[in-house]
Amino acid sequence: MPKLSDIEGVTLAERFELAACLQCGRCTGGCPMSIRSPLNSRKFLYESLIREDGEALLEREEVWDCTSCRTCSSRCPRELDPAMVMRAVRTVKIEGGRIPKTLMDAMESSLKHGNPWGRSRMKRTAWAEGITVNSIEEDAESERLWFVGCTPAYDPRAMGMAKALARIFEVAGVDYTTLGSEEVCCGSEMLRAGEEGLFEELSEVNKENFAELEFAEVVATSPHCMNTFIADYGLDIPVTHYTQLLAALAAEGKLPFGGESEEVKVAFHDPCYLGKQNSIYDAPRNVLKAVPGVELVEFARSRERSLCCEGGGGRMWIEGMGEGERNAQIRVRDAIEMGVDVIATACPFCLLTLEDAVKTTGSEGKIRIFDIAEIVVNSIDGSERSE
Amino acid sequence: MKIAVFVKHVPDVAEADLEVAADGRTLKGAGLPFEMNEWDRFALEEAVLIKDEVGGDLTAFLIGDEAAEESLRRCLAVGADRAVRLWDEALSGANPFEIAAAMRGAVGDDNYDLILCGAQSSDYGYGMGGPLLAEALGINSVALVNKMKVEGSKVLVTRELEGGWGEEVEVNLPAVISIQTGINEPRYVSILGIKKARKKPIDVLDGAGVDLSSEGGKLVVESLQAPPLGEGAEFLEGSPEEVAERCLALLKEAGGVL
Ligand code: SF4
Ligand code: SF4
Repeated sequence: MPKLSDIEGVTLAERFELAACLQCGRCTGGCPMSIRSPLNSRKFLYESLIREDGEALLEREEVWDCTSCRTCSSRCPRELDPAMVMRAVRTVKIEGGRIPKTLMDAMESSLKHGNPWGRSRMKRTAWAEGITVNSIEEDAESERLWFVGCTPAYDPRAMGMAKALARIFEVAGVDYTTLGSEEVCCGSEMLRAGEEGLFEELSEVNKENFAELEFAEVVATSPHCMNTFIADYGLDIPVTHYTQLLAALAAEGKLPFGGESEEVKVAFHDPCYLGKQNSIYDAPRNVLKAVPGVELVEFARSRERSLCCEGGGGRMWIEGMGEGERNAQIRVRDAIEMGVDVIATACPFCLLTLEDAVKTTGSEGKIRIFDIAEIVVNSIDGSERSE
Repeated sequence: MKIAVFVKHVPDVAEADLEVAADGRTLKGAGLPFEMNEWDRFALEEAVLIKDEVGGDLTAFLIGDEAAEESLRRCLAVGADRAVRLWDEALSGANPFEIAAAMRGAVGDDNYDLILCGAQSSDYGYGMGGPLLAEALGINSVALVNKMKVEGSKVLVTRELEGGWGEEVEVNLPAVISIQTGINEPRYVSILGIKKARKKPIDVLDGAGVDLSSEGGKLVVESLQAPPLGEGAEFLEGSPEEVAERCLALLKEAGGVL
């Protein structure tokens, strides 16, 4: 079994300068998981200080509950980075090989098939059958790459995002191309789950693709892909989220929204990787406000204080130890109490966790979950395309 | 204890559109991702667990070409002390008897106390490698083992039978045990682990000394065909919920199940 103290030859406490920790608990106070899981970052840091090398932390399974939302790190008055401590512990656990089976499958699939969903590379473009999607495989050249992402490409529900975006780009005349079946997983979740080696393998492939095809700009469907391109890839080209592109198109009047429409009350759920981690709060709201008939309302916990849906940090493939109501369920209940018709979001993981929560809280028929791209298409084409 | 494990590098055919090659007797393998055979992952894990428990050294064997070394590196990454790969062009498309002769050749004069292998491979699924190797070595063999414990010069094993039944067998070493899935929980092998293992040597043997002459005729594949399309198949379309509901209705209609 590898040891925590083996990381770069220093202890966890030294590596993350934990002696500076005040034990104030602001990190834990902001942690979306601490309410319902044994995960407690303040205590975790304390343990790694008082134990000589913190090895006992390797026994703590709650490290898998962390969603890597980074609320803890953003709130620490000493600028410490508890989220990175969690990741470091995960990395050592991964080297030891004893990790949740579902996560293991996702990692092996990412290496073998280039996606964490256990699906064949050959089926990566199946979502695009019968609709207009530009692709380098059909010689569509562009300086703008639309990075579709694994979940929008493979998950039957999240596919709605990819289809909606392809339709919007078509009607708005957006110049773009996709990598088709050459696209591989961005590696964001694998890195955050602690599999640094796998992230490197995946990111190398993408970086080579980006450089070879001389893209000048990348637009991502998922805030997770976008974030890792910005935070971890070190690209020298701008990377944006699709909501930023749609907001610009809306401002230029290039989105041909349908005229007549019923009033719908929509609450926007800020994805952590879009909001908290990249401060993109206004673009998604501006798109929603531009859609005729949408009345945008705010959750009590929104923007910087938004409640994490628990889908990040590899959690899409980790059951976790958390008990009681899931954050996404809380979100759905809150929205219903607010009299909201639709929760809008802009992330495939949020979309799936919220859809799940509608079912597990028995709220079908009371509220609907849509991605912003789907809401835009509903208005443009006048039909609901979410199913 | 001297322990050996045999692993195979196989194509992953889930979701693949398989086609019979022009010779009518083999499958087109191009474009398929390859990985360690599922059963062998359990055999490898069991070998490592046994080594950790009783001590000794572990040698991993593989019959395959250079591309197949990836599976041997996984063995080295999780604790194999040595890796041996044997290959000869004459072995491409070989039948299980020929493969077993190659396995026997790879083992050579080294007397292993315990040899583990997967109960079958996910590509051709003959399930003959282990028993044939034991036969060639003249040692004991137990197949489809889903529980085992080494005790001195014996192994206590449980063989999986039909319907959830198990048969307990006590077998003297040396022996070849072929492992059923589910016997343990194979660990994750990190990319870093595999990369480190790239620095460890792999002994490469050619087929010299492996006599295939009497094996080739024992089993000959005449032709390979895709199963004929069945009549009356119905593809269920719609959202997962709709498909599940339709499934339920169909099962109720058909009776006997629900
Ligand atoms: S917020 Fe910072 S200083 Fe306070 S307990 Fe957490 S890590 Fe320590
Ligand atoms: S990253 Fe988020 S989930 Fe993880 S410990 Fe910090 S606040 Fe909690």
